[in-house]
Amino acid sequence: MVTAHETVQGGGGPVGGAPAGRPRPGWARVAPWISTAVRLGLAVVWVWAGSAKIADTAAAAQAVRAYRILPEALVKPFGYGLPFIELALGLLLLLGLGVRVVAGVSALLFLVYIAAIASVWARGISIDCGCFGGGGAVAASHTAYLQEILRDLGFLALCGWLLWKPPGRLALDSWVSGEA
Amino acid sequence: MTVMNDKNSGKRAARARLAEQRAKEAAKAKRKRGLIIGGAVIAVLAVAAVIGVVVQNDRAGSGAYASPRGTVGAGGLMVPVGSPAAKAVLMVYEDPRCPACGGFEKGFHTTLNQLEKAGKVRIEYHVVSFIDRHDNGSGSKHAAAALGCAQNAGKFHDYHDVLYANQPLETTDPWADRAALITLAKKVPGLDTPAFESCVNNGTYAGWVSAVEQDFDKSGYNSTPTVLLNGTSAYPTYNGQSITPASLTAAIDKIDS
Repeated sequence: MVTAHETVQGGGGPVGGAPAGRPRPGWARVAPWISTAVRLGLAVVWVWAGSAKIADTAAAAQAVRAYRILPEALVKPFGYGLPFIELALGLLLLLGLGVRVVAGVSALLFLVYIAAIASVWARGISIDCGCFGGGGAVAASHTAYLQEILRDLGFLALCGWLLWKPPGRLALDSWVSGEA
Repeated sequence: MTVMNDKNSGKRAARARLAEQRAKEAAKAKRKRGLIIGGAVIAVLAVAAVIGVVVQNDRAGSGAYASPRGTVGAGGLMVPVGSPAAKAVLMVYEDPRCPACGGFEKGFHTTLNQLEKAGKVRIEYHVVSFIDRHDNGSGSKHAAAALGCAQNAGKFHDYHDVLYANQPLETTDPWADRAALITLAKKVPGLDTPAFESCVNNGTYAGWVSAVEQDFDKSGYNSTPTVLLNGTSAYPTYNGQSITPASLTAAIDKIDS
């Protein structure tokens, strides 16, 4: 039984997949690659979202200010700091370093973003979420709160997968733990 | 036979204990590794945030900028047109690329120019540039900075009217090319000098433009044109009535008398 299991794993050790006594050879091989794809997808999202908000500092501040949630003293720290956190999350996912923790932090951030968009929606303020650059007030007919929230829920699902099955193939985590 | 069995089972038990201990140690090491990696990730994110705040604060600049000659208000953010003695003050927030501002100018600039020449109204312009953010581009900022150059040359109002008369579609951005703004300056007699051209091309008032925009960002007004007559919103309605050139003239005459 054990021998068969190890053969299926290609000697790669117990990396995700088949629960003991119910081996699913195909799944055990595919799941880590799905994790890799999810990781890279989420990495692209973070790197894109972060880098789009760095060039124009005034726009970054205004995107935060437009939510009318934070006091003026915190607008710039958040507008300036968050894009760099997003960028760092993206790079860590790309490297596959600390994947479970990064997925957890990412999920937390998406929950905060969803709550912020929902709050703006509920208060009847018309803004662009500024999720991928831009942001600030827009005409009421140009808001897209539902799409923005659904999109973030999709990203949240990706985080969920990574929390469940980190880190996937081609990850520095496996190398650090000697399982590569 | 029984002795052999006992011996074997003893060995097995010892092996099991050893394996159990190894598994425990491995689990402990794994937990430790997890904590180290988790701590490192949090540290990396914290460092990234601090770097971001420091770098961006530095890039945003100290806020020092040059205002065009003759601008008024805190920080020299407003361009005044008309008699300083006029009792009626019209505060106007306009973006050069904003089509609704083009509509306001088309409908009211003749009336306002007459009232201004008669000394009945002073207009205070805030030239904002947020359309560049909405629709991407740099035409609003370039045009606003060129308007600063025109103000410095004492020809703000004429150039302002020329720009709105030649306003491009919001979705296009021909004013991203500063040469287009210089070409339009030729329509204002005496404006297109070497000093004006170098002012436009060097973005001399870019810092002023972003200061004006940041002031607008914080004002709570979020669309243009925002028009206030002595502090009361006057466009598209004034005191609940839809505004027309005639009703605007009547309102200003009332304040003036």
